[in-house]
Amino acid sequence: MRQKQQLKSISVYVPIERVEANLSEIGFLLVGSSTIVADGKFWKKMLYVNKEETINVSEEIGDAYPKDPIITICGSKTTILNVINGVKY
Amino acid sequence: MPMYECNEHQFVENIRRMIETSEKFLVNRKINWHDDAKYGPATLPDPEFEKYAILIFRKSLRATVFSRVPFVDDFHKRIYDQGESLHASSNLKFPRLSIPYYRVEYSINLWGGTYYFNFDALFNPEILMEKRRGKLLGKDGSLIYVLKFNPPEENILNINLPKGVMVFDVKNMIKVIDYTSNF
Repeated sequence: MRQKQQLKSISVYVPIERVEANLSEIGFLLVGSSTIVADGKFWKKMLYVNKEETINVSEEIGDAYPKDPIITICGSKTTILNVINGVKY
Repeated sequence: MPMYECNEHQFVENIRRMIETSEKFLVNRKINWHDDAKYGPATLPDPEFEKYAILIFRKSLRATVFSRVPFVDDFHKRIYDQGESLHASSNLKFPRLSIPYYRVEYSINLWGGTYYFNFDALFNPEILMEKRRGKLLGKDGSLIYVLKFNPPEENILNINLPKGVMVFDVKNMIKVIDYTSNF
């Protein structure tokens, strides 16, 4: 049965590679990316999709430190928990 | 009417909180394309600048950008010769080669206040080699690099929201100032 979609945004202090690996593990595919400018900074905004669920990942471009990708999930409660657990230290 | 600026994380979390309260609300979205020379190659961070590396070069971030080879800017219908200055470090606000972008504005109105999140999405460069004709390229035409700008796909610009949250596209937002609180 399809679960009700929920919304969650998290900001995490983990490398983008770890976020990408986690999303790939739980079945999400990168379908596109774009360069955006927000808060006076350049970001790479990526869209991951798995059936009807979507995850946006925004990471600052350049030498910024520390990097804290913003992950926005529109999906089931299970997916949200999987993402949160997958990017925990 | 106060307006509160949010970043992406704050804006989405505010919407999530609204959804959890079962409060009815509307998300407004405004997308307009601009080409007002706000963005030029000298101020692009290195990973973004690399996309143009076949055509242009610079010593470092904010240094003057020069053309590496002759090329046609198909979007602005201009042709640049080799070694031309395209974005001077002494004039960063006025690049000769500018990058078009979408201005995306999301907002929600709640209890008399407006909460908004804005960002600019740069068009993606595409570099091709094409046979073009013209005054400088001759009647028979010559092979030349062509720079095209493609708009980013809409699904990447969207904030994906659960079904049931209504998003209205608007052309403009008129700010109404409430003076009644002054009396």
